[in-house]
Amino acid sequence: MRTTSGWAVSALGVLLALLGAAVMVFLGPDSRVTTGPHPIETDDIAVVVAPGAIRWADLQVDVLVEVPVRKPVFIGIGNAVDVQDFVGKTGRLEVTGFRHPWDLTMREVDGEPNLPGAPTALDWWIDSAAGLGGASISTQLPDETVSIAVLSVGSSNLAGLEVTLAYGVKGGFTKGLALLLLGVELAWLGFLRWRRRPERATVDGYVDEDAVEEEVVYVFVDEDGVEHEVGEDELSKFEIVDEEGKP
Amino acid sequence: MRWRRMLVAVCALLLAACAVPHQRDDAKPDKIAAREAEVADVLRGYREVRNSAAELLDSKPLSTVETGALLAIDTGSFEVSQRLAQTQELETGRVEVTDMATPRFSKYPLWFYAVVRDRALGVNRVQIFERTSSADPWLLTSSPQALADTSLPEVRRRKGAAVRVAADDATGMSMSAQAVAESYAAALAEPAAGASADIADDSFIQQMRSTAATNAGLEGVDFSQTWEAERVRYALRTADGGALVFVTFLRQDTDTVPDGLKITWPEGSPQQAFLSGGIEDSGQLNYYHQVLIHLPGGNGKPRALGQYGGVVSGDGGASSIR
Repeated sequence: MRTTSGWAVSALGVLLALLGAAVMVFLGPDSRVTTGPHPIETDDIAVVVAPGAIRWADLQVDVLVEVPVRKPVFIGIGNAVDVQDFVGKTGRLEVTGFRHPWDLTMREVDGEPNLPGAPTALDWWIDSAAGLGGASISTQLPDETVSIAVLSVGSSNLAGLEVTLAYGVKGGFTKGLALLLLGVELAWLGFLRWRRRPERATVDGYVDEDAVEEEVVYVFVDEDGVEHEVGEDELSKFEIVDEEGKP
Repeated sequence: MRWRRMLVAVCALLLAACAVPHQRDDAKPDKIAAREAEVADVLRGYREVRNSAAELLDSKPLSTVETGALLAIDTGSFEVSQRLAQTQELETGRVEVTDMATPRFSKYPLWFYAVVRDRALGVNRVQIFERTSSADPWLLTSSPQALADTSLPEVRRRKGAAVRVAADDATGMSMSAQAVAESYAAALAEPAAGASADIADDSFIQQMRSTAATNAGLEGVDFSQTWEAERVRYALRTADGGALVFVTFLRQDTDTVPDGLKITWPEGSPQQAFLSGGIEDSGQLNYYHQVLIHLPGGNGKPRALGQYGGVVSGDGGASSIR
């Protein structure tokens, strides 16, 4: 029984350690996977991720958008209900699908050449940023359907847009290391448990793996009070005055 | 061994705090209209603008926080105050929200419900704030007032969001919310109408019928009154399986006066403010009434729990305000 549990604990430890190591290798010391910059061909004023294209939650996402000649640009992430209502009547490039590492499915949606208002004036963005020539956001995806919108501010458009995407787990490298150490410790504990197994005792052919081996020692005390160990075959020569373990 | 135990504990703690990224099964867009903090901000902002307008005795700032029939009622109220050199009441106490309910929506417009207690007036304002599009601000669209001791039905909630009722949905009730509005308007316009049997003879109906009877009692004056219900836009499911329905009525009082007679109103009355020259031939006063109606689950009759209304325009008098 002890051997089996020792192996099980060791195996679990090894699995956890491997998982931790894999997380560390995949994410790297900055806890994220980065891809880009990737050019996006468009002359619209909006590039929007459609509802359903982002299906992850609790994933840390960093997006950097860059446009040439210091054009003003805005990037925001918000609930899909808000974002879709905001860009619903605007001509845009819509990202309908995304596959790792950078495989986008997109479609053109016709509409008006302007937005219904300044995106910077809205209060429902989960995270947003605006800048000249570039802007970036860093957020953890919430457990709701969200859309990311890259919008041109002012009279310019998004021609020359480049996107760099990074995604990962906040503190993922540290957590991978914790998983690795925990796995190693478990594997070691399992190994110790397995190594300290008792010698098999057999009684009538029955093997009891949990049996505890007891060693019986016979001691002879001479006149000076000095103890001498004696063998079982010599016991007949002595008088037994004390027997430990007997009630 | 102690350091190893500490290592295990630290690792376990680190991993316990880990939010594991996961794929969501449901990608359907939806959102709760507003979080509690946002509701508090909206109510606070409304109070500030309302008090500014009251201090200036100018209704123009109200257009940034109110809309529709409610804005018309309050604008009318401010015009009356201006013409009669009265003041508007300031709300200086803290915003005391006794209940709020925010439904879930898959598209705009969004709206939420809040009950705000006014201790000075001894009423609960049952308010609906609406955001018609993502680029628009939250605006107060309906604000019927119920007496503080009036028991408001509990709103049913599912997954933290209030449950809405479609205007034409009569499930579990004697009629739909829209049918309630139309029956109520019919009963107010014509007490003998068959619709009167479908609704409770509540204090609002009694008060309106009494006012109409007084106006019709003027000797030699032909008085007529019409009631029209607007389309129901806000209805919430209550815990008893019924609905809390917000209805806006347009009431038009028309007086036709024979030659040689003239109708005038007492100094300081809203009617006098809108038709200051009185009515010599024919004149009409238009009112909006926002009524909160509880439609109980089962076969119960709908009953008004509160209302807010007033004159919004006058037409046809010697000097009328439209």
